[in-house]
Amino acid sequence: MSQEKFIENFLSATDFQNPVEVTMETVLVDLPEWDSLAALGVIVMFDMEYGKTITGEDLHKIGTIGDLYKLAGY
Amino acid sequence: MATSTLKNVRFSGMATCVPKRIVSNLMDCKPQIRSERERLVRNIGIETRRMAPEWQCFSDLAYAATEKLLEQLGWQREEIDALIVVTQSPDYLIPATAIILQDRLGLSHSTVAFDVNLGCSAYPFGINLLGSMIAAGGVKKGLLLVGDRSATLDGPIFSDAGTATALEFCEDAPPMYFDLNSDGSGHKAIILPVGGQREPVGIQHLVPFRENENDQWHRATDLILDGPAVLSFSTQRVPPAVEKLLSYANVEKESVDYFVFHQANRMINETIRKKLGLPVEKVPSTLRDFGNTSGASLPVTMTARINKELESGCKRVLLSGFGIGLSWGTALLDITGAKFPDLIES
Repeated sequence: MSQEKFIENFLSATDFQNPVEVTMETVLVDLPEWDSLAALGVIVMFDMEYGKTITGEDLHKIGTIGDLYKLAGY
Repeated sequence: MATSTLKNVRFSGMATCVPKRIVSNLMDCKPQIRSERERLVRNIGIETRRMAPEWQCFSDLAYAATEKLLEQLGWQREEIDALIVVTQSPDYLIPATAIILQDRLGLSHSTVAFDVNLGCSAYPFGINLLGSMIAAGGVKKGLLLVGDRSATLDGPIFSDAGTATALEFCEDAPPMYFDLNSDGSGHKAIILPVGGQREPVGIQHLVPFRENENDQWHRATDLILDGPAVLSFSTQRVPPAVEKLLSYANVEKESVDYFVFHQANRMINETIRKKLGLPVEKVPSTLRDFGNTSGASLPVTMTARINKELESGCKRVLLSGFGIGLSWGTALLDITGAKFPDLIES
């Protein structure tokens, strides 16, 4: 899966209210609307789109979107 | 206990009572900005909830449901041998709410009455427990009262309800199948950490605190809910448990009329439904209107969405409860000729 498609899925899963630019270098916790709801969306996305079980702890350890992309197995 | 079968137990009826007061997650609750409330509602799938007034306990709702059910069934009070209450919202810490209700409902002194402490997973466990007493032969007619009072204005998830279910001994009854499980290693995922004997309430627990200026104020006595842990648990454990019970009962998915799941939140429920490949029309939902009514959510959904269908002909229903404990249980029932009065508001 391309990085662009991954970012598109990420934005859909997190359902942010305000448009925000996300790149592989974006730091997760720096996203202004990153919250517990967004985290739930990402956990569901990993489960349903990538067949991977991740936990809240995994997300706490994640730095950038690039790290998340690697966690998805790319 | 893994999977099991109960014979000679008939599902005779169910009644459900919710408070009249409606609380809207779009209109009445935090967060401050409308679009944030809309995002919350869109993702958790809960638009309105029922919230009991200060004077109303879970047992008041369950009492109203029981009165309605007894009237519809035409059961005499002295016929009732057992009254089991499954709740985490007792009237008092002690004594048990079921014993208080034995008197309030006018049941005889020979009624066995006790409480069981289970939350979101309660319903299949309660059916199994009362059903086992009936199958063993001592109890001919029994009542199972399930529900909680857990709605607050601060949290967008929980909603209040009380329910009553009637089971009775019947040699012609179709078998009931169960799969009941527990994992106490996850007990901190949903917990009231203060107020029990490990950590009795002290004055230090009553001081409000918040993590930062954007955070809501909390108290140490508040419920702790680890959303990601509950989501992972539910979506990993429930689908295989459903498949396991169907396989044990030798029943095809297609022959099940309704799959009724605990109403947790939209993300959890939709993930479970999609993993099992179930069509929307076979999976009734009350999340939008009634939120997460804890252990009552299976009866709330059966009453509010499919009670007329359940009253007509024979319906095969799979029930799945999961949550606090952690605990998860599945039941497969064939329901024929049972009473399902319309939802009561009190």
